[in-house]
Parts: sequence; C-alpha cells; structure tokens
Amino acid sequence: MSAVAAKPQAGGAINPTAMVVGIILTLIFLAICYYFSPTLGMTALIGVVVGGVLIGFGTHFVPVGGAPAAMGQAPGIATGVAMLAAGAGLAGLFGGAWAAEQGIVIAVITGGIGGGMLMAITCMMVNFIYVFGMGIPSASGKVAKDPITGDTQAEFKSQGTEGHGLPFISFVGGVIGGLLGGAGGTLIYMSLLNLYEAALPGIMNVTAAQVMPIAVSTAGIFAVGLFLVNAVLTAYNITGTIEGPHDPKFKRWPRSIVASACASALCGLVAVLIVVPLPI
Amino acid sequence: MEHIVFGIGITALAGALATVAGSAEDTESNIGSQGDPNSQVQLAPQMGFLHRIFNKAIAGEPPAYGLWCCLGAGLAWAFMAMQFNAVLAIVLGCVLATFVQGVYATTAYVGRTASLAKFGQPIYVDILKSITTVTMAHAFIAIFCTVTLCHLINTALGHPFPLPLLGLIWGIALGAAGSATGNPYYGKERQYQNQKFGAGVPISASGNIVRYADAGERNSIDNGWFTSKIGGSASGICFGMIVFLELWRTVVFEAINPWYAIIVGVLIILIFTVIDRYIEVWARKTYGPYTAAKEAEA
Repeated sequence: MSAVAAKPQAGGAINPTAMVVGIILTLIFLAICYYFSPTLGMTALIGVVVGGVLIGFGTHFVPVGGAPAAMGQAPGIATGVAMLAAGAGLAGLFGGAWAAEQGIVIAVITGGIGGGMLMAITCMMVNFIYVFGMGIPSASGKVAKDPITGDTQAEFKSQGTEGHGLPFISFVGGVIGGLLGGAGGTLIYMSLLNLYEAALPGIMNVTAAQVMPIAVSTAGIFAVGLFLVNAVLTAYNITGTIEGPHDPKFKRWPRSIVASACASALCGLVAVLIVVPLPI
Repeated sequence: MEHIVFGIGITALAGALATVAGSAEDTESNIGSQGDPNSQVQLAPQMGFLHRIFNKAIAGEPPAYGLWCCLGAGLAWAFMAMQFNAVLAIVLGCVLATFVQGVYATTAYVGRTASLAKFGQPIYVDILKSITTVTMAHAFIAIFCTVTLCHLINTALGHPFPLPLLGLIWGIALGAAGSATGNPYYGKERQYQNQKFGAGVPISASGNIVRYADAGERNSIDNGWFTSKIGGSASGICFGMIVFLELWRTVVFEAINPWYAIIVGVLIILIFTVIDRYIEVWARKTYGPYTAAKEAEA
C-alpha cells in the first residue's frame, strides 16, 4: 500500500466516552449562559452553537487533497482543509453581513450562497487547470463509480497515483460545504450582532446609531474567529485530506459536530459575557 | 438607477483589481514555494537532490495573505484616520505590510533551509538577496490591489465591515482561490517537468524535482515566469470572478429585491456546475482512459 493510500485506522474510531463528555461540557456552557443572561445571551449562544455545528459539518464536504493533489497524486483541491473552508465561509460571511438589514433568514441564505459561489468557481477552475493546463482527467481514488454520474473512475487514474482532479461528486461536495460554511458563519455573525446592538448602548451610554460600528466590528471579528476554530477542529478530525461526501472519512462527522458544538459554546460564552454585567 | 450604474462601475473596477491580485498572489507564492508543492522542495534534499529553489512556506497562503492584507488595510485605515489622502494611505499601508512580508520570507527561507543542514543543503545568500525582493514586489501588487478593492467595497459600495476586517476576509479568500487554482500547475507541471505530460506524478518520483534550467541551475524566478502564464492567469480569473460576481449580484439585484440576489446566486452556481461537468466529460472523451476498464479494476 502506498503512502497516500495508507489510512490511520485508529483515527476513524468514535470514542463514546469523549462524545458524552463533549455533550455534557456543551450543556454546562449553555447553563452558565442561561444563568447570566437567560433571554438575549442564551438566544445568541444557541445561534453561535448552531452556526459552529454547520461550519464543522460543512467542512467535511469540501474536497481537499493537500500536497499530493498539487502533484496530481491524489484527488481534491491542492490546499489545506481549514484554509479552503475559511476562504469559502468568510466570503459567505461577507455577503451575509451585507444583507444583515434584510433580516436573519435572508442574511443566512445570502451568506450560504456566497460561500457556495466561491466553491463553485474555485472547483471549476481547479478542473480547468487539471484538464487544459496539465492534460489530466478527473478520477476518484476512493470509489469505483461516481455516486452521482455513474462514471467509472479506476481506468482514469494515471499510474502510481491515487487519482486526481475533482470528480463531479467532489465538485458537488465542495459547493455544499461552501453553502453550509457560509450560512454557519453568517448565523454566528447575526446572532452576536443582535446581542451587541441590544446590549452595548446601555453599557456604553451611547445611542444605538453610535454603537453600530463597534457592534458590527466585534460581531465580525468573533464570527471570523469562531469560523477558524471550527474549521481547524474539523481539519484535525479529517486528518489531512478528504475527497468529499463519498470518502470513508466523511463518516467521522458525528465526532466533529460534538467537538464543534463544545468549542463554539465555550467561545460563544466568552463573546456573550463581554456584554453581560456579572452580578459580583 | 444612478447609484446602481455607479455600483456596477465600482464592481467592474473591483473585479479587475481582484484579477490582478489573484495573478500576482499565485506568482508570488510559486516564486516563494509557499503553496502545497513546498513539501517537494523540502523533501528533495532529503532524497539527495540539492537545489537552489526558494522555500518560505511556514504558513499556508490563506492565513499569510489574511495577515498581510489585514495589516495593509489596518495601516491604511489608521493613516486615513490621521487625515492622509486615501491613495497615499493605501500605498503607505501596503508598503509597510510588504516589509513584514519581506521579513517573513527571509526568516522562513533561512529557517526552513537551515533545518536541511544535515542533508547538505546550503543556504544561498545570493538567492536570499535576489529572490526575496522579487517576492516582495509581487506581494505588494497583490496586497495593494486587495486593500484597494476592500476600500472601494467599504466606501463606495457601503459594506458595513471596517477596512481591516475586509482586508482579513478578502486576504484569506485570495489565498484560498490562488492556492487552490495555482498549486497543481506549479507542483505537477513545473517542479515535475521531467515527468510525462497528461498524468499525475507517480508517488515513487516524489522529491525528484527538476533542478536544472537551460543554462545552469534552475531558480525560483524561472518558476515564477513559467507559472505566471497559466497558473497565475487562472488564479487571477478565479479570484476576479469570485469578487465580481459576488458584488454584481448584490449591487444589481439586492436593491430590487433581496430574493433576486439569492436566485441569481443559485443560477450562477448552476451555470458553473454545468461548465464543470462539461470540462470533466470533455477530458474523459478527448484524453481517454489510461488503461482498459477491466484491467484497471483488477
């Protein structure tokens, strides 16, 4: 078995004890938030946790091949998991934040579409470079047939490689990953923005209009930070490369969701508590 | 209507700036071997292939460009707060960010190459002096174009995010688009120019990168020249399309009805899906399989 084909067997196992500990920790963080701010803060934290879970789940769809993909040795996009997911999700956050005045539903959908567009354009250009720049057709190394198109893959793998390019299922996975990541990032931003818009004027003794730049900036920075936290956590879960939803590593998503929920709850609790006066 | 026409003009300008930024970013990263192919540049001396290729990969392109564009945008924002002219403020901010990139490139090259001392790989001072400035020049173009488009988005199109945050977001997106599109062309097509065209690099050939040029040893400026022709251009088109289409659908359609912008976004995704599928099928039909189907399955 080649170095690329070798997979860490222990990495795929799901540890029930760790999952339960993660869920309990998440509930503890939520309870702390409920104690200090049962309405506004709690609503914001739930939005942050759901957004974080969307980002963590969405990152599993993004086909990332890392260094082997850059040499045409493995399928996927030739960059890191966290980086590509962050690029797509933040482009979505950019669009979602622009539509913030239209309400949370439109903003979240707009954010998702923004992330999906970045991934669709990027995935298309990756195949463009492989086909027209390097003369290499797409081939998956993980499945015999593309689950969507039914195209056979094995005979299109060049000798000594695990496949290359982006088969159609990987393209679709990339777009779904961008959609979920963009929507999740925007949901985090909108949740925190609503909290800061309501809480900051009272704390700083200024009008709602004056507090807007601070609220927007702080919510935006927390959204970017939470995005990176969840994307990097998922990158550890994936351990290097993944082809998309058809890859066996995709089945590890439950572990990542618990980790994302727990990390988002802790980071979100900090984001909430900076505007909630503590009864000390 | 007038503000929509104005918005379309700004969108076109931002798209053009993004195209130049994407192209410069990919060329800069290829000269510095910052993308994923850096693994081969690092591996080669360990396999006995000493070389004169620059390697400054101690961070991926997206976080590195996120830092530099955020720094350029933040400094430009600070200069503008000090009542500097916007053009001067952006230029000064980007120059200072480029100096940070220069320090990063120098320490990264020296650090990475020093770790290969046990394999006999020297640190070439002439390479350090000649290549670092070339990467800085390309980085300045990429950072300047990105910060300028962020300034246009912020002031002319009215995006709520402050300039430094826009710099961070679009810097990361620039690195993501540039590394995704440009890396395979540098990694496969340039570093492994001695391998067959139209096939991936066999894993057994890892580390055996091309080290000699037409005359003398190959250096990273040769790599930048080669990859700028297709990899750089494609990265530029990729990032240009991302910025232009995202702004265009928002500026034109969101003013009429927010749902129109969403529908147009979905249509754009579907159009690129069809184009991608066409390219995939075209390649399968035109290039054909490497082996017979039954033989491959066996």
